[in-house]
Amino acid sequence: MVDIIFLGLAIFAIGGGFGMILFSQPMHSAISLIVTLISLGGIFALLSAPFLFMVQIILYAGAIITLLLFIIMFLNIRDDELPDEPNKNITIIIGAILLIPFNILILKAFNTFPEKSMNILGKDFGSIHSFGMELFNKWLVPFELISMLLLASLVGAVVYARKDKNRDG
Amino acid sequence: MADLLLSYIALAMILFSIGFLGIISRKNIFIVYMSIELMLNAVNLIFVALGRYNESMEPQVMAMIIIAIAAAEAAVFLSLIVVLYRNKKSLNSDIFNVLKQKDTANG
Repeated sequence: MVDIIFLGLAIFAIGGGFGMILFSQPMHSAISLIVTLISLGGIFALLSAPFLFMVQIILYAGAIITLLLFIIMFLNIRDDELPDEPNKNITIIIGAILLIPFNILILKAFNTFPEKSMNILGKDFGSIHSFGMELFNKWLVPFELISMLLLASLVGAVVYARKDKNRDG
Repeated sequence: MADLLLSYIALAMILFSIGFLGIISRKNIFIVYMSIELMLNAVNLIFVALGRYNESMEPQVMAMIIIAIAAAEAAVFLSLIVVLYRNKKSLNSDIFNVLKQKDTANG
């Protein structure tokens, strides 16, 4: 049963990824990416990370990609303004062939790990309570640094997006 | 199949490769951004799979931090795209060449 769920989610994730790089309209690509992200959320749930499953759907699919969709609609791009990509398909095929040895190398490296059962853990592994204990005990300094990073990116976005009055001068 | 670490790693590697192919093959700046997001997600999947393998919570916290950094990246990148489109009326990533040095005959 778990195998069937994993296989379905993996097929949806890979199909969404291929759709993302093959569609020419950015709107269709963004919707394919949402399919991929929600499938990955399901795989996080299979890996006993229920809190990350929630975060993936609420924050990734719900906030980041929605912001991206909002920007795509806001710019209102016409078909003739899209950049033409004459070498798209041939680059994808050649790149895929060149990436195969790299993938085989990584998989061989992981193949040396001893086999261990990966079934879903019960108890409170990955729940909000244990996640919060981990975050606020061992990872407090990175957590605070992230607040600084978010503040800096907020200021940076405002500086980028304001109208430049002194451009002509 | 869902019991093996290797199947999760294989899925993550496939997604990472798709993201890399998107970056090298597309000119549309939105698709490049989405490919970067896909690569970040593939790395997250490897983190969480190895965390489940070792029964440790720390990789999940790291994955959460990566998601927060991706949110910060999204704000800056998307405002950059808006400014770019407003000034140059184009989504082609090849126009990011204002810092490229010109080849002159006598240096």
